[in-house]
Amino acid sequence: MPVLPTEPVLTVLLFSCFAAACSALGAVPFAFGGGPPRSVIGAAYALASGLMLGAGYLLMTTALERMTLPAVLGAGAGVAYTYWTRTYLGIEHKEAEIGVRERAELGYQTILQNTLHSAAEGIAIGVAMVMVAGDLRPGIFLALVLAVHNVGEGMTMTELLRRRGLSVGESAGLCVVTNVTQPLLAVAAFALLPTLGNLLPIALGFAAGSLVFLVLTELVPESYERASTTMVATLMSVVTATVVLLEHVLL
Amino acid sequence: MWLAVGQVFLFGLVTALATGLGALPFAFMREVSKRTLALAHAVASGLMLGASFGLIVEGSHYGTVQTLTGGMIGVVFILLGQQLLAGKGPAFGELRGAGARKVILILAVMTLHSFAEGVAVGVAFGGGEHLAVLITFAIAVHNVPEGLAISAVMRPKGASLAACAGWSIFSSLPQPLMAVPAFLFVDSFRALLPYGLGFAAGAMVLMVFLELLPEAYDGASRSTIGLWVSLTLGAMILFQRYL
Repeated sequence: MPVLPTEPVLTVLLFSCFAAACSALGAVPFAFGGGPPRSVIGAAYALASGLMLGAGYLLMTTALERMTLPAVLGAGAGVAYTYWTRTYLGIEHKEAEIGVRERAELGYQTILQNTLHSAAEGIAIGVAMVMVAGDLRPGIFLALVLAVHNVGEGMTMTELLRRRGLSVGESAGLCVVTNVTQPLLAVAAFALLPTLGNLLPIALGFAAGSLVFLVLTELVPESYERASTTMVATLMSVVTATVVLLEHVLL
Repeated sequence: MWLAVGQVFLFGLVTALATGLGALPFAFMREVSKRTLALAHAVASGLMLGASFGLIVEGSHYGTVQTLTGGMIGVVFILLGQQLLAGKGPAFGELRGAGARKVILILAVMTLHSFAEGVAVGVAFGGGEHLAVLITFAIAVHNVPEGLAISAVMRPKGASLAACAGWSIFSSLPQPLMAVPAFLFVDSFRALLPYGLGFAAGAMVLMVFLELLPEAYDGASRSTIGLWVSLTLGAMILFQRYL
């Protein structure tokens, strides 16, 4: 790809910044009134679910090809990290108490949670960039997948922030700020992983575990809440199956 | 020649019987709460997602476009099947309504996907007989979690243990039946294989997102469902890798 910077680390920075910046796009529909209909947010989440589940499968199978036990331990750590962000912030408890439809009530917990997720997502981008030596395509693919995910996340966050009285511009800014850990940790993981010995299988497993668990606890149930089950299920199935097939053939 | 055909059929039958073993863990299940039902659906979801990802990768070795086409047909097939069953108020044994629809759909999906697997067995046998025992063993072991998935849906809805085992075996009967013609006409069937594998994968993934996961989230917290689905999905990926 001739348009890419010659220095690989600049490519990593470029695409991870792009992913983070895309979260501001989620605020754009709110500039024209009350924001996108519930079903649009549901569809965006369903699309992101399929993409991320497919990407998680690629990361996990690659991790297992390297070394089994570290891959499994890494995946367990990824699941545990994302689980911890839910319980530590009390989201699990509040959801049960007030019901998931009132996301606005969760307030700062959602912002903190998104920030903590972004850290794992940033590591995932960096890890995917070094996954195949000398080939950045898996990482670029994952950065674009997370860019789509960030648009949906930006929509729900802006919805929440607008209800709490922030302007569209402020909401867009805050969305990007919560994702700023993505470029930071993507570049750090990209630079440090090759120097830290054979940590790659653990890191790949961690990325896979945290992404898949995030999809299952946030994105999938959130889409069921917002759009028709048939539409959401069809979108998720077609996208997941296509991504699993194409990434296996192309990457 | 006919001895070989008999052998392919017999080996296919063994793999089908292995599916019945998936019902065993449910032998000691008495009362079924809403939570147990949700967890069973989560387990079935993880197993079926892992199985379909494996089928897609397998299909891609025979043809990408064909696998993709088969997958889309599989998705449309389940959507049509669900619409058809939705208006009818279906019954299945003791079951009525939504529960019956789910059981009918999962049995249809698992049985249809066995056709594709039967073809895969036959084509593989046609490739070289010395691998026969290994392939049979691999498919047989891999059928056990599929029986588990079927039983996980049927048992909590009140089906007997014998019914779970019986229908699990039934869902795999296409394997010996399809293995024989696929073995005899290996070249024609090799061309059909990616469509079949794609179809099976598309139908199974849609089944998970359309019927199993929504019910799972209804009966337990998101974290619990997330843990069970990722655990079984991971186990299935590991399982396929080392078999």
